[in-house]
Amino acid sequence: MYATADMLLMTPEAHAAAEQSQETPIEAVLVKAVLSGDRDGFARLYDLYAPLVHGILLSRVPRAEVDDLVQDIFFHAFKKLHTLREAAAFAPWIAMIARNRAVDFHRRARETVEINDDLRGSESHESRANEILELIRSLPEAYRETLVLRLVEGMTGPEIALRTGLTAASVRVNLHRGMKLLREKLGFMEGS
Amino acid sequence: MKDDYLWDKSGQPDPEIRKLEDILGTLRYQPKPLEIPVSRRRNYFPLIAIAASLLLALVAGGVWLRVRNQSAPPPPQEAKVVPTRPKIDDATPEPIRDKSKTTIAVKRPHHKSVPSALTKREREEGLAAKQQLMIALRLTTEKLSLIHRKTQGITPANQIKNQHRVG
Repeated sequence: MYATADMLLMTPEAHAAAEQSQETPIEAVLVKAVLSGDRDGFARLYDLYAPLVHGILLSRVPRAEVDDLVQDIFFHAFKKLHTLREAAAFAPWIAMIARNRAVDFHRRARETVEINDDLRGSESHESRANEILELIRSLPEAYRETLVLRLVEGMTGPEIALRTGLTAASVRVNLHRGMKLLREKLGFMEGS
Repeated sequence: MKDDYLWDKSGQPDPEIRKLEDILGTLRYQPKPLEIPVSRRRNYFPLIAIAASLLLALVAGGVWLRVRNQSAPPPPQEAKVVPTRPKIDDATPEPIRDKSKTTIAVKRPHHKSVPSALTKREREEGLAAKQQLMIALRLTTEKLSLIHRKTQGITPANQIKNQHRVG
């Protein structure tokens, strides 16, 4: 788990996020619908949580692999949905699947040579985005996922907490510390 | 407060964070339809067809054997006649059984008694039924071989026959 000491710090926003998560268990309804045979329910889950899985993967694996892995993860989740004990915990569950899949990817692709995204990037804006993404990936693991979900996928801190299963306090700390480190690295890069 | 913008996008936006959001936003997830392959159900049709054909062949064979037995002349009945004491009167009391005396016993066949002589019409009907069964068996064999070829992935030979050459 990430930043276990920081989990003890609970702000009012954290309490609000926790309460919100208890009030809106839409994933629980959707999971039950899927288990009773409603495939459209899973499409809705996919729409809701694909950005989360995308962000988690983007902070860990090469960008070119992310889209295929997102599909693989949701297909795997569809097959294994009956093993999910608590329907409301779909988001942390699929987030964990995504993290494990990223670990598997690196274990299998250890011997392969990764093609730098810059070689394929056609636009300078995209090339710059890939450079910053590489800097984020060089940060400690606890920060990179939170930063990608915030800066790339556009989620707010409470949303990240709700979907990843982390406490709001942890997310807040990870965002601030990660952003501080990223600023330092960006300053170093621009100065060099 | 700048921290609030990083946390929940409220408050005054931080220009650096806004710039990062603009740049990194190009990498954001682009919605794509989920492709879940439809679960393939195993095709049991060839197995069912083979089982049905075998069953049909068995039934046809059984019927054919039955008809053949009926059309064949029955084996001669052997009646074992042994001397016995003539029956005198029902009212007379039962005499003491003497073991030296014997009674008439007719050996009964296990199957139904079949008339030994069939009429000409019955014979013709039997022969016609036999021919029909032979045709049914032949068709069943053909179908079985066709199913076998299909399951083995062998395309049947050119089925267009009896074509006349043009020119």
